[in-house]
Amino acid sequence: MDLAVPVLLIGGGTVAIAFYVAWSIGANDVANSMGTSVGSGALSLRKAILIAGVFEFLGATLIGIHVTKTIQHGIVNPNNPIFLADPSIFVYGMLSSLLAAAIWITISTFYSLPISTSQSIVGALIGFGIVAAGASAVSWGKIIQIGESWVLSPLIGAVLAFFIFYIIKKVIFDTNKPFISMKKTLPFFIFALVSVILFSIFKSLGCTDFPNICITTIIEITLIISFISAVIGYFLICRYKPKSLRTDADIYNSIEHVFIYLQIITACFVAFAHGSNDVANAIGPLAAVINILQSGTIESVIGVPIWLIILGGIGIITGLATWGYKVIGTIGKKITEISPTRGFSAEFSTALVVLMCSRFGLPVSTSQVLVGSVIGIGFAKGIVAVDLKVIKKIVFGWIITVPLSAATAAIIFIIIVKLG
Amino acid sequence: MEEKKDHFRAPIQDTFRRKSPFEQLLEHMSKVRECIDIIGKGLERYYKGDYKDFSNVAKKVSKLEHEADLIKSNLRNHLPSTLFMPVDKGKFLWALREQDAILDHAENLAVMLDMRHTKIPKEIQEDFIEHSKIVMKTVKAMEDAVCNIKDLVETSFVKRERQQTKEFIYKVHEYEYKADKEKYKLTKKIYELEKKLKPMDTYHLLKIADWVDDIADHAENVADWLRAMIAK
Repeated sequence: MDLAVPVLLIGGGTVAIAFYVAWSIGANDVANSMGTSVGSGALSLRKAILIAGVFEFLGATLIGIHVTKTIQHGIVNPNNPIFLADPSIFVYGMLSSLLAAAIWITISTFYSLPISTSQSIVGALIGFGIVAAGASAVSWGKIIQIGESWVLSPLIGAVLAFFIFYIIKKVIFDTNKPFISMKKTLPFFIFALVSVILFSIFKSLGCTDFPNICITTIIEITLIISFISAVIGYFLICRYKPKSLRTDADIYNSIEHVFIYLQIITACFVAFAHGSNDVANAIGPLAAVINILQSGTIESVIGVPIWLIILGGIGIITGLATWGYKVIGTIGKKITEISPTRGFSAEFSTALVVLMCSRFGLPVSTSQVLVGSVIGIGFAKGIVAVDLKVIKKIVFGWIITVPLSAATAAIIFIIIVKLG
Repeated sequence: MEEKKDHFRAPIQDTFRRKSPFEQLLEHMSKVRECIDIIGKGLERYYKGDYKDFSNVAKKVSKLEHEADLIKSNLRNHLPSTLFMPVDKGKFLWALREQDAILDHAENLAVMLDMRHTKIPKEIQEDFIEHSKIVMKTVKAMEDAVCNIKDLVETSFVKRERQQTKEFIYKVHEYEYKADKEKYKLTKKIYELEKKLKPMDTYHLLKIADWVDDIADHAENVADWLRAMIAK
């Protein structure tokens, strides 16, 4: 494979841009998931950053592989005669897409437009694919799947969050003695929470080597841990004696106080899910480039070395530590309307939907799913005032992101090919 | 409300309002509460013939009415059609309007009373005082009902809280009915005394009874709109 520009320059350049994209994910996107926990008072800013750092990294490294594969070779098909003949075109294309996405992320962040990093990179890849090898180079089936996930994920988030909050309302608030109801039902909530989280994570890890053993062991481990958690929760709640239960407000405050602990768990879950889905935006193209540069052939493009994903995780944490904490703090101050019961419902449904999308290799926007969940709770009368104009902004974002980033990637690709 | 441009993407913060409309309604109501306190005590002294500090009362009431108007405008200006609330925005705004009317009438009452220090005949002084006490109780009952919104919102409008709110609302109706009866008693007595009184005095006394009673009427209206808001 002939590269006019030295391999090191291209490889190094791609690593730098990928790191920048990961950094900006940590600097901005993480805040969208953690903001609700800080706003409701469940987490202090410091705890939020700590949890975000640890769980974003874990999510990225444990489950990030699926979406990374999609970005790497699931959208632009490497098995195309043009790429087979000259793999360097694929490399230039991945570089252009990453650069285009980076540009759009920077612009939209500066102008506070709700554009998703996942949607930018997908659009950019489409642009490169079409210009490099024609429309047949793009896996349109996958694109349609991804597009469906963009529309359905916030909707499912809304329905799920509505459902979860509705249960909380009916089982705790709508009884004659809400505090006692909460004490009785808390173990069940914990059981459901822990079992869903564990099961979804195990299923997403994938056990292709030992399919039979896997499913029963998974269920057993999940049930045991969930049961133990529920029992621990039961003992803790029995010993919980709030200062005063005189007025209704006291009772509700104590219920919310208990839900703070549940929300801490869902905060970890959301950070985990977000890391598993967004790390691919930076690392997918990078992995393709590195593989091809190392081996010189297009066939080796498949496969994501673990150290690249770790690099992505580090990028996210760096962004979080240098800039992200400011954004989390600002968002947290602005959305104090949310209380732990609502935050719990929103985060749990968001994390579950995003994790399932990660499992199926679908890059979705965590922020938009969260907005869907919050609106869902609003429809359950859980939130005092929900501004629906954000939906317009999001739909507008869908319509303009893909063409704009596609066009940008195409232009950059043409420039690079002309230069190289 | 000038929005400073933040240079980050966070659709989640566009979903929430910076200030809850219910919080602002309760803020507005706290102005009503302060005002009723001041004018309740002021009326009692006025009826007994003590007009000394009444201009202070009138000034304070005007100030409260103005502050409440600011809250009201702020609320109204930031309730776009895209805002989704667990209650009907129209009914909410009507409740706010009626609550504001209490303050408007209180201000009107205080200013007019201060312009002409009408002497209340000894025979009906007690009745006037009794009437104003019942009217103040009506507004207090309304405040209890509106305060219960906090619990309604926290539990997202469960049956138990709605029932509690309805009970507060029944109290408001009860007191308003008593206030009306007391006013009719008062009016009858004024007519009985009319030969002894100067015409302007008679007119003024009747007007005072009306104005004070209007406050109770508006308090009842607030309660009624609250009932409409929580209707299922």
